[in-house]
Amino acid sequence: MTLDYLLLGIIAGLAAVERKGFLQAMLSRPIALAPATGLVLGDPQGGVLLAAPLELLWLGAVNLGAALPAHEALGASAIAGAAVLAGRALGTGVTPAVAILAVLICAPLALLGRKADGLVERVNERLARRADALLAQGNPRAAVRENLYGLFLPFAISFVLAPLGASVAAAAIPALLRRFPGGEWLLSGSWVAFGAFACAAAAKALRAGRAPAVFLGAVGAGLAVALLLARHGP
Amino acid sequence: MKVPAATLARVFWRCLFLQAAWNRRGMQNLGFAYAIDPALRRLYADPERRKEALRRHLCFFNCHPYTGAAIVGGAIHHEERVAAGEEAERLPLVFKETLQGPLAAIGDGFFWTALRPFFGALMAFGALAFGWPAVVAGLVLYNAVHMALRIRLFLAGYRRGDAVVSEVARLSLPVVADRLRLGAAALAGLCLVLVLAKGAAAMTLPLALAGLAAAALGALALWLGLRLFPAVYATILAGAGATLAAVHLFLRGP
Repeated sequence: MTLDYLLLGIIAGLAAVERKGFLQAMLSRPIALAPATGLVLGDPQGGVLLAAPLELLWLGAVNLGAALPAHEALGASAIAGAAVLAGRALGTGVTPAVAILAVLICAPLALLGRKADGLVERVNERLARRADALLAQGNPRAAVRENLYGLFLPFAISFVLAPLGASVAAAAIPALLRRFPGGEWLLSGSWVAFGAFACAAAAKALRAGRAPAVFLGAVGAGLAVALLLARHGP
Repeated sequence: MKVPAATLARVFWRCLFLQAAWNRRGMQNLGFAYAIDPALRRLYADPERRKEALRRHLCFFNCHPYTGAAIVGGAIHHEERVAAGEEAERLPLVFKETLQGPLAAIGDGFFWTALRPFFGALMAFGALAFGWPAVVAGLVLYNAVHMALRIRLFLAGYRRGDAVVSEVARLSLPVVADRLRLGAAALAGLCLVLVLAKGAAAMTLPLALAGLAAAALGALALWLGLRLFPAVYATILAGAGATLAAVHLFLRGP
Protein backbone atom coordinates (compact mmCIF):
# COMPACT_ATOMS: atom_id res chain seq x y z
CA MET A 1 0.00 0.00 0.00
CA THR A 2 2.83 2.41 0.85
CA LEU A 3 4.36 1.65 -2.54
CA ASP A 4 1.03 2.52 -4.22
CA TYR A 5 0.99 5.94 -2.57
CA LEU A 6 4.64 6.48 -3.45
CA LEU A 7 3.93 5.64 -7.10
CA LEU A 8 0.87 7.90 -7.07
CA GLY A 9 2.98 10.74 -5.65
CA ILE A 10 5.63 10.27 -8.32
CA ILE A 11 3.18 10.22 -11.21
CA ALA A 12 1.30 13.25 -9.82
CA GLY A 13 4.59 15.11 -9.33
CA LEU A 14 5.82 14.33 -12.84
CA ALA A 15 2.47 15.42 -14.26
CA ALA A 16 2.70 18.74 -12.38
CA VAL A 17 6.13 19.31 -13.96
CA GLU A 18 4.97 18.35 -17.46
CA ARG A 19 1.89 20.56 -17.15
CA LYS A 20 3.78 23.84 -17.06
CA GLY A 21 7.52 23.59 -16.49
CA PHE A 22 8.55 21.04 -19.12
CA LEU A 23 7.22 19.85 -22.48
CA GLN A 24 3.41 20.43 -22.28
CA ALA A 25 2.62 17.43 -24.48
CA MET A 26 -0.85 16.69 -23.00
CA LEU A 27 0.64 13.93 -20.83
CA SER A 28 -0.63 15.73 -17.71
CA ARG A 29 -4.15 16.23 -19.09
CA PRO A 30 -6.79 14.07 -17.34
CA ILE A 31 -7.37 12.06 -20.54
CA ALA A 32 -3.80 10.73 -20.38
CA LEU A 33 -3.10 11.04 -16.67
CA ALA A 34 -6.13 9.12 -15.33
CA PRO A 35 -5.39 5.95 -17.39
CA ALA A 36 -1.67 6.30 -16.59
CA THR A 37 -2.46 6.52 -12.87
CA GLY A 38 -4.74 3.50 -13.18
CA LEU A 39 -2.01 1.61 -15.03
CA VAL A 40 0.60 2.39 -12.38
CA LEU A 41 -1.79 1.30 -9.60
CA GLY A 42 -2.83 -1.88 -11.41
CA ASP A 43 -6.25 -0.92 -12.84
CA PRO A 44 -5.89 0.86 -16.20
CA GLN A 45 -9.58 0.31 -17.06
CA GLY A 46 -10.56 2.14 -13.88
CA GLY A 47 -8.48 5.09 -15.01
CA VAL A 48 -10.01 4.99 -18.50
CA LEU A 49 -13.52 5.17 -16.98
CA LEU A 50 -12.60 8.49 -15.35
CA ALA A 51 -10.49 9.90 -18.17
CA ALA A 52 -13.17 11.18 -20.55
CA PRO A 53 -15.45 13.01 -18.07
CA LEU A 54 -12.50 14.59 -16.25
CA GLU A 55 -10.93 15.77 -19.52
CA LEU A 56 -14.21 17.29 -20.68
CA LEU A 57 -14.86 18.87 -17.28
CA TRP A 58 -11.49 20.62 -17.37
CA LEU A 59 -11.29 21.22 -21.12
CA GLY A 60 -11.18 24.97 -20.43
CA ALA A 61 -8.40 24.72 -17.83
CA VAL A 62 -5.66 26.43 -19.82
CA ASN A 63 -2.80 28.62 -18.71
CA LEU A 64 -3.43 31.87 -20.60
CA GLY A 65 -0.87 34.57 -19.84
CA ALA A 66 -0.60 35.12 -16.10
CA ALA A 67 -4.03 33.60 -15.33
CA LEU A 68 -4.00 30.50 -13.14
CA PRO A 69 -6.51 27.77 -14.02
CA ALA A 70 -7.62 24.92 -11.74
CA HIS A 71 -4.82 22.36 -11.32
CA GLU A 72 -6.49 19.66 -13.41
CA ALA A 73 -3.44 17.36 -13.20
CA LEU A 74 -3.46 17.30 -9.39
CA GLY A 75 -7.24 16.80 -9.35
CA ALA A 76 -7.17 14.03 -11.96
CA SER A 77 -4.30 12.08 -10.39
CA ALA A 78 -5.86 12.23 -6.91
CA ILE A 79 -9.32 11.25 -8.20
CA ALA A 80 -8.01 8.36 -10.32
CA GLY A 81 -5.72 7.17 -7.51
CA ALA A 82 -8.53 7.33 -4.94
CA ALA A 83 -10.98 5.49 -7.20
CA VAL A 84 -8.54 2.68 -8.03
CA LEU A 85 -7.47 2.18 -4.41
CA ALA A 86 -11.06 2.33 -3.09
CA GLY A 87 -12.22 -0.07 -5.81
CA ARG A 88 -9.47 -2.46 -4.83
CA ALA A 89 -10.42 -2.24 -1.13
CA LEU A 90 -14.04 -3.05 -2.02
CA GLY A 91 -13.04 -5.83 -4.39
CA THR A 92 -15.25 -4.36 -7.15
CA GLY A 93 -12.75 -2.29 -9.12
CA VAL A 94 -13.73 1.24 -10.16
CA THR A 95 -17.53 1.30 -10.43
CA PRO A 96 -19.51 4.47 -11.29
CA ALA A 97 -20.38 4.86 -7.58
CA VAL A 98 -16.73 4.62 -6.54
CA ALA A 99 -15.74 7.04 -9.31
CA ILE A 100 -18.31 9.70 -8.40
CA LEU A 101 -17.38 9.58 -4.70
CA ALA A 102 -13.73 9.99 -5.66
CA VAL A 103 -14.71 13.07 -7.68
CA LEU A 104 -16.74 14.48 -4.78
CA ILE A 105 -13.90 14.08 -2.29
CA CYS A 106 -10.83 14.86 -4.40
CA ALA A 107 -11.97 17.47 -6.95
CA PRO A 108 -11.33 20.41 -4.55
CA LEU A 109 -7.62 19.51 -4.73
CA ALA A 110 -7.64 21.13 -8.19
CA LEU A 111 -8.52 24.44 -6.50
CA LEU A 112 -5.92 23.92 -3.79
CA GLY A 113 -3.42 23.24 -6.57
CA ARG A 114 -4.26 26.60 -8.14
CA LYS A 115 -3.45 28.32 -4.83
CA ALA A 116 -0.19 26.37 -4.69
CA ASP A 117 0.66 27.56 -8.22
CA GLY A 118 0.54 31.14 -6.92
CA LEU A 119 2.99 30.19 -4.17
CA VAL A 120 5.30 28.55 -6.74
CA GLU A 121 5.35 31.76 -8.81
CA ARG A 122 6.36 33.80 -5.75
CA VAL A 123 9.15 31.34 -4.89
CA ASN A 124 10.34 31.46 -8.51
CA GLU A 125 10.79 35.23 -8.15
CA ARG A 126 13.54 34.43 -5.67
CA LEU A 127 15.17 32.14 -8.22
CA ALA A 128 15.10 34.96 -10.79
CA ARG A 129 16.70 37.38 -8.30
CA ARG A 130 19.35 34.79 -7.41
CA ALA A 131 20.10 34.29 -11.12
CA ASP A 132 20.68 38.05 -11.48
CA ALA A 133 23.03 37.97 -8.49
CA LEU A 134 24.96 34.94 -9.79
CA LEU A 135 25.40 36.60 -13.17
CA ALA A 136 26.66 39.77 -11.49
CA GLN A 137 29.18 37.59 -9.61
CA GLY A 138 30.42 36.30 -12.98
CA ASN A 139 28.85 32.84 -12.85
CA PRO A 140 26.55 32.62 -15.90
CA ARG A 141 26.34 28.81 -15.90
CA ALA A 142 24.97 28.77 -12.34
CA ALA A 143 22.68 31.70 -13.17
CA VAL A 144 20.85 29.88 -15.96
CA ARG A 145 20.75 26.63 -13.97
CA GLU A 146 18.42 28.39 -11.51
CA ASN A 147 15.70 27.81 -14.12
CA LEU A 148 15.73 24.06 -13.46
CA TYR A 149 15.29 24.53 -9.70
CA GLY A 150 11.83 25.89 -10.54
CA LEU A 151 10.71 22.34 -11.34
CA PHE A 152 11.19 21.10 -7.78
CA LEU A 153 8.33 22.82 -5.92
CA PRO A 154 5.49 21.89 -8.36
CA PHE A 155 6.72 18.28 -8.19
CA ALA A 156 6.90 18.30 -4.40
CA ILE A 157 3.44 19.85 -3.90
CA SER A 158 1.69 17.29 -6.11
CA PHE A 159 3.86 14.47 -4.73
CA VAL A 160 2.44 15.24 -1.28
CA LEU A 161 -1.13 16.39 -2.01
CA ALA A 162 -2.26 13.72 -4.50
CA PRO A 163 -1.53 10.71 -2.23
CA LEU A 164 -2.89 12.63 0.77
CA GLY A 165 -6.22 13.32 -0.93
CA ALA A 166 -6.37 9.82 -2.38
CA SER A 167 -5.72 8.23 1.02
CA VAL A 168 -8.62 10.14 2.63
CA ALA A 169 -10.95 9.16 -0.23
CA ALA A 170 -9.73 5.56 -0.37
CA ALA A 171 -10.58 5.19 3.32
CA ALA A 172 -13.92 7.03 3.16
CA ILE A 173 -15.39 5.51 -0.03
CA PRO A 174 -15.46 1.82 1.04
CA ALA A 175 -16.81 2.83 4.46
CA LEU A 176 -19.60 4.91 2.86
CA LEU A 177 -20.61 2.25 0.32
CA ARG A 178 -20.64 -0.51 2.94
CA ARG A 179 -22.78 1.60 5.27
CA PHE A 180 -25.27 2.63 2.54
CA PRO A 181 -25.42 -0.31 0.09
CA GLY A 182 -28.45 1.20 -1.72
CA GLY A 183 -26.36 4.25 -2.45
CA GLU A 184 -24.65 2.42 -5.31
CA TRP A 185 -27.73 2.86 -7.55
CA LEU A 186 -28.23 6.51 -6.71
CA LEU A 187 -24.58 7.26 -7.33
CA SER A 188 -24.71 5.46 -10.68
CA GLY A 189 -27.35 8.02 -11.68
CA SER A 190 -25.06 10.76 -10.41
CA TRP A 191 -22.27 9.34 -12.58
CA VAL A 192 -24.43 9.68 -15.72
CA ALA A 193 -25.38 13.21 -14.65
CA PHE A 194 -21.74 14.11 -14.03
CA GLY A 195 -20.59 12.68 -17.39
CA ALA A 196 -23.29 14.51 -19.34
CA PHE A 197 -22.64 17.73 -17.40
CA ALA A 198 -18.92 17.50 -18.21
CA CYS A 199 -19.79 17.36 -21.94
CA ALA A 200 -21.88 20.53 -21.64
CA ALA A 201 -19.16 22.24 -19.57
CA ALA A 202 -16.67 21.42 -22.35
CA ALA A 203 -18.91 23.06 -24.96
CA LYS A 204 -19.18 26.15 -22.75
CA ALA A 205 -15.42 26.33 -22.25
CA LEU A 206 -14.75 26.50 -26.00
CA ARG A 207 -14.28 30.10 -27.06
CA ALA A 208 -16.50 30.02 -30.14
CA GLY A 209 -19.87 31.74 -30.54
CA ARG A 210 -21.37 28.85 -32.50
CA ALA A 211 -20.08 26.13 -30.14
CA PRO A 212 -23.39 25.73 -28.20
CA ALA A 213 -25.39 25.31 -31.42
CA VAL A 214 -22.89 22.82 -32.84
CA PHE A 215 -22.90 20.94 -29.50
CA LEU A 216 -26.69 20.66 -29.42
CA GLY A 217 -26.75 19.71 -33.10
CA ALA A 218 -24.26 16.91 -32.47
CA VAL A 219 -26.32 15.69 -29.50
CA GLY A 220 -29.46 15.64 -31.66
CA ALA A 221 -27.74 13.87 -34.55
CA GLY A 222 -26.07 11.37 -32.23
CA LEU A 223 -29.36 10.58 -30.47
CA ALA A 224 -31.08 10.08 -33.82
CA VAL A 225 -28.40 7.63 -34.93
CA ALA A 226 -28.53 5.85 -31.56
CA LEU A 227 -32.32 5.49 -31.80
CA LEU A 228 -32.07 4.15 -35.34
CA LEU A 229 -29.43 1.65 -34.28
CA ALA A 230 -31.54 0.62 -31.27
CA ARG A 231 -34.59 -0.01 -33.51
CA HIS A 232 -32.90 -1.72 -36.42
CA GLY A 233 -29.75 -3.09 -34.87
CA PRO A 234 -26.17 -2.10 -35.84
CA MET B 1 30.01 32.98 -37.04
CA LYS B 2 27.11 30.52 -37.30
CA VAL B 3 25.83 28.48 -34.38
CA PRO B 4 26.43 24.74 -35.15
CA ALA B 5 23.43 22.47 -35.72
CA ALA B 6 24.18 20.42 -32.59
CA THR B 7 24.05 23.59 -30.48
CA LEU B 8 20.78 24.60 -32.13
CA ALA B 9 19.36 21.17 -31.24
CA ARG B 10 20.49 21.71 -27.65
CA VAL B 11 18.83 25.12 -27.56
CA PHE B 12 15.60 23.62 -28.92
CA TRP B 13 15.68 20.94 -26.20
CA ARG B 14 16.12 23.66 -23.60
CA CYS B 15 13.16 25.57 -25.10
CA LEU B 16 11.00 22.77 -23.67
CA PHE B 17 11.91 24.18 -20.20
CA LEU B 18 10.88 27.74 -21.08
CA GLN B 19 8.36 27.92 -18.21
CA ALA B 20 10.29 25.92 -15.59
CA ALA B 21 10.76 28.95 -13.32
CA TRP B 22 7.81 31.10 -14.45
CA ASN B 23 7.62 34.07 -12.10
CA ARG B 24 5.58 37.26 -11.85
CA ARG B 25 8.57 39.57 -12.15
CA GLY B 26 10.27 38.38 -15.32
CA MET B 27 7.78 35.64 -16.28
CA GLN B 28 9.77 33.34 -18.66
CA ASN B 29 13.00 35.36 -18.38
CA LEU B 30 14.96 32.60 -16.64
CA GLY B 31 13.66 30.00 -19.09
CA PHE B 32 14.67 32.15 -22.05
CA ALA B 33 18.18 32.73 -20.70
CA TYR B 34 18.52 29.00 -19.93
CA ALA B 35 17.43 28.07 -23.48
CA ILE B 36 19.65 30.50 -25.38
CA ASP B 37 22.76 30.07 -23.19
CA PRO B 38 24.43 27.26 -25.27
CA ALA B 39 24.21 29.48 -28.38
CA LEU B 40 25.66 32.49 -26.50
CA ARG B 41 28.54 30.34 -25.26
CA ARG B 42 29.35 29.49 -28.89
CA LEU B 43 29.03 33.05 -30.13
CA TYR B 44 30.92 34.92 -27.39
CA ALA B 45 34.32 33.54 -26.46
CA ASP B 46 34.96 36.61 -24.30
CA PRO B 47 33.35 35.98 -20.86
CA GLU B 48 32.43 39.66 -20.45
CA ARG B 49 30.59 39.77 -23.79
CA ARG B 50 28.83 36.50 -22.98
CA LYS B 51 27.79 37.87 -19.59
CA GLU B 52 26.45 41.01 -21.23
CA ALA B 53 24.52 38.97 -23.81
CA LEU B 54 23.04 36.76 -21.10
CA ARG B 55 22.00 39.85 -19.12
CA ARG B 56 20.07 41.02 -22.21
CA HIS B 57 18.09 37.78 -22.17
CA LEU B 58 17.39 37.81 -18.43
CA CYS B 59 15.01 40.72 -18.88
CA PHE B 60 11.22 40.30 -18.95
CA PHE B 61 9.90 37.78 -21.45
CA ASN B 62 6.53 36.11 -21.82
CA CYS B 63 5.14 34.16 -24.73
CA HIS B 64 3.30 30.94 -25.44
CA PRO B 65 5.67 28.02 -24.69
CA TYR B 66 5.28 26.60 -28.23
CA THR B 67 5.49 29.81 -30.28
CA GLY B 68 8.17 31.12 -27.90
CA ALA B 69 10.52 28.72 -29.73
CA ALA B 70 10.28 31.00 -32.80
CA ILE B 71 11.52 33.93 -30.69
CA VAL B 72 14.40 31.91 -29.23
CA GLY B 73 15.39 30.95 -32.79
CA GLY B 74 15.04 34.56 -33.96
CA ALA B 75 17.07 35.87 -31.02
CA ILE B 76 19.95 33.54 -32.03
CA HIS B 77 19.63 34.87 -35.60
CA HIS B 78 20.14 38.41 -34.24
CA GLU B 79 22.86 37.44 -31.75
CA GLU B 80 24.93 35.95 -34.61
CA ARG B 81 24.87 39.38 -36.23
CA VAL B 82 25.63 41.17 -32.97
CA ALA B 83 28.60 38.84 -32.37
CA ALA B 84 29.86 39.56 -35.90
CA GLY B 85 29.52 43.31 -35.31
CA GLU B 86 26.81 43.69 -37.99
CA GLU B 87 24.01 44.75 -35.64
CA ALA B 88 23.55 46.87 -32.54
CA GLU B 89 23.27 44.99 -29.22
CA ARG B 90 19.74 46.27 -28.61
CA LEU B 91 18.28 44.62 -31.76
CA PRO B 92 17.78 41.11 -30.28
CA LEU B 93 15.82 42.81 -27.49
CA VAL B 94 13.75 44.87 -29.93
CA PHE B 95 12.98 41.65 -31.84
CA LYS B 96 11.83 39.91 -28.64
CA GLU B 97 9.78 42.86 -27.41
CA THR B 98 8.06 43.29 -30.77
CA LEU B 99 7.11 39.67 -31.34
CA GLN B 100 6.42 38.20 -27.91
CA GLY B 101 2.93 39.70 -27.61
CA PRO B 102 1.59 38.78 -31.06
CA LEU B 103 3.10 35.28 -30.97
CA ALA B 104 1.72 34.72 -27.45
CA ALA B 105 -1.75 35.67 -28.71
CA ILE B 106 -1.43 33.33 -31.70
CA GLY B 107 -0.14 30.49 -29.51
CA ASP B 108 -2.87 30.91 -26.88
CA GLY B 109 -5.55 31.25 -29.55
CA PHE B 110 -4.45 28.25 -31.59
CA PHE B 111 -2.72 25.74 -29.35
CA TRP B 112 -4.36 26.33 -25.95
CA THR B 113 -7.93 27.20 -26.92
CA ALA B 114 -8.30 25.19 -30.15
CA LEU B 115 -5.83 22.40 -30.95
CA ARG B 116 -5.50 21.03 -27.41
CA PRO B 117 -9.24 21.16 -26.59
CA PHE B 118 -9.96 19.52 -29.95
CA PHE B 119 -7.61 16.66 -29.20
CA GLY B 120 -8.93 16.48 -25.63
CA ALA B 121 -12.49 16.06 -26.93
CA LEU B 122 -11.32 13.65 -29.65
CA MET B 123 -9.51 11.46 -27.12
CA ALA B 124 -12.48 11.64 -24.72
CA PHE B 125 -14.74 10.40 -27.52
CA GLY B 126 -12.20 7.73 -28.40
CA ALA B 127 -11.89 6.62 -24.76
CA LEU B 128 -15.67 6.29 -24.43
CA ALA B 129 -16.05 4.46 -27.75
CA PHE B 130 -12.89 2.36 -28.04
CA GLY B 131 -10.99 2.53 -24.72
CA TRP B 132 -7.31 3.26 -24.03
CA PRO B 133 -5.91 2.56 -27.55
CA ALA B 134 -7.75 5.65 -28.78
CA VAL B 135 -6.08 7.75 -26.06
CA VAL B 136 -2.62 6.50 -27.08
CA ALA B 137 -3.35 7.17 -30.76
CA GLY B 138 -4.63 10.67 -29.94
CA LEU B 139 -1.52 11.50 -27.90
CA VAL B 140 0.79 10.31 -30.68
CA LEU B 141 -1.09 12.37 -33.26
CA TYR B 142 -1.25 15.52 -31.09
CA ASN B 143 2.45 15.39 -30.35
CA ALA B 144 3.35 14.74 -33.98
CA VAL B 145 1.44 17.92 -34.92
CA HIS B 146 2.61 20.00 -31.97
CA MET B 147 6.28 18.99 -32.18
CA ALA B 148 6.37 19.49 -35.96
CA LEU B 149 4.99 23.02 -35.55
CA ARG B 150 7.28 23.79 -32.60
CA ILE B 151 10.40 22.68 -34.53
CA ARG B 152 9.26 24.48 -37.69
CA LEU B 153 8.70 27.73 -35.77
CA PHE B 154 12.11 27.49 -34.07
CA LEU B 155 13.90 26.93 -37.38
CA ALA B 156 11.87 29.63 -39.15
CA GLY B 157 12.82 32.09 -36.40
CA TYR B 158 16.49 31.15 -36.67
CA ARG B 159 16.67 31.23 -40.47
CA ARG B 160 14.44 34.19 -41.20
CA GLY B 161 14.67 36.43 -38.12
CA ASP B 162 12.01 39.16 -38.32
CA ALA B 163 10.49 37.50 -41.40
CA VAL B 164 9.22 34.71 -39.11
CA VAL B 165 6.01 36.77 -38.92
CA SER B 166 5.17 35.97 -42.55
CA GLU B 167 5.97 32.30 -41.92
CA VAL B 168 3.48 32.25 -39.02
CA ALA B 169 0.89 34.17 -41.06
CA ARG B 170 1.18 31.57 -43.84
CA LEU B 171 -0.02 28.87 -41.45
CA SER B 172 -3.48 30.61 -41.20
CA LEU B 173 -3.75 29.45 -37.60
CA PRO B 174 -6.76 31.64 -36.58
CA VAL B 175 -8.93 30.18 -39.38
CA VAL B 176 -7.94 26.61 -38.50
CA ALA B 177 -8.49 27.39 -34.79
CA ASP B 178 -12.14 28.33 -35.30
CA ARG B 179 -12.82 25.06 -37.13
CA LEU B 180 -11.07 23.05 -34.43
CA ARG B 181 -13.18 24.69 -31.70
CA LEU B 182 -16.40 23.82 -33.51
CA GLY B 183 -15.07 20.29 -34.10
CA ALA B 184 -14.43 20.00 -30.36
CA ALA B 185 -17.99 21.18 -29.61
CA ALA B 186 -19.39 18.51 -31.96
CA LEU B 187 -17.22 15.83 -30.33
CA ALA B 188 -18.41 16.92 -26.86
CA GLY B 189 -22.01 16.48 -28.10
CA LEU B 190 -21.24 12.97 -29.37
CA CYS B 191 -19.57 12.17 -26.03
CA LEU B 192 -22.82 13.07 -24.29
CA VAL B 193 -24.70 10.56 -26.46
CA LEU B 194 -22.15 7.86 -25.57
CA VAL B 195 -22.43 8.68 -21.85
CA LEU B 196 -26.20 8.36 -22.08
CA ALA B 197 -26.02 5.10 -24.07
CA LYS B 198 -23.58 3.56 -21.59
CA GLY B 199 -25.77 4.72 -18.68
CA ALA B 200 -28.87 3.21 -20.31
CA ALA B 201 -27.05 -0.08 -20.91
CA ALA B 202 -25.87 -0.22 -17.29
CA MET B 203 -29.03 0.98 -15.52
CA THR B 204 -32.08 1.16 -17.89
CA LEU B 205 -33.07 4.10 -20.05
CA PRO B 206 -35.38 5.91 -17.57
CA LEU B 207 -32.61 6.11 -14.98
CA ALA B 208 -30.09 7.33 -17.55
CA LEU B 209 -32.59 9.96 -18.71
CA ALA B 210 -33.03 11.04 -15.08
CA GLY B 211 -29.26 11.57 -14.93
CA LEU B 212 -29.44 13.54 -18.17
CA ALA B 213 -32.16 15.78 -16.74
CA ALA B 214 -29.97 16.51 -13.70
CA ALA B 215 -27.06 17.31 -16.02
CA ALA B 216 -29.27 19.68 -18.01
CA LEU B 217 -30.11 21.56 -14.81
CA GLY B 218 -26.45 21.76 -13.84
CA ALA B 219 -25.47 22.92 -17.32
CA LEU B 220 -28.19 25.56 -17.28
CA ALA B 221 -26.88 26.86 -13.95
CA LEU B 222 -23.38 26.96 -15.45
CA TRP B 223 -24.55 28.88 -18.52
CA LEU B 224 -26.40 31.32 -16.23
CA GLY B 225 -23.16 32.11 -14.44
CA LEU B 226 -22.70 29.58 -11.61
CA ARG B 227 -19.05 28.65 -11.17
CA LEU B 228 -17.80 25.25 -12.33
CA PHE B 229 -17.28 23.56 -8.96
CA PRO B 230 -20.63 24.48 -7.34
CA ALA B 231 -22.32 23.41 -10.59
CA VAL B 232 -20.51 20.03 -10.47
CA TYR B 233 -21.63 19.35 -6.90
CA ALA B 234 -25.19 20.52 -7.62
CA THR B 235 -25.33 18.22 -10.67
CA ILE B 236 -24.08 15.20 -8.72
CA LEU B 237 -26.66 15.76 -5.96
CA ALA B 238 -29.42 16.40 -8.51
CA GLY B 239 -28.37 13.19 -10.30
CA ALA B 240 -28.88 11.16 -7.14
CA GLY B 241 -32.24 12.86 -6.50
CA ALA B 242 -33.43 12.36 -10.08
CA THR B 243 -32.41 8.68 -10.00
CA LEU B 244 -34.35 8.17 -6.78
CA ALA B 245 -37.40 9.85 -8.29
CA ALA B 246 -37.09 7.76 -11.49
CA VAL B 247 -36.85 4.53 -9.50
CA HIS B 248 -40.10 5.41 -7.69
CA LEU B 249 -41.91 6.61 -10.83
CA PHE B 250 -40.85 4.07 -13.45
CA LEU B 251 -39.52 0.99 -11.74
CA ARG B 252 -41.79 0.59 -8.69
CA GLY B 253 -44.98 2.11 -10.08
CA PRO B 254 -46.92 5.11 -8.72
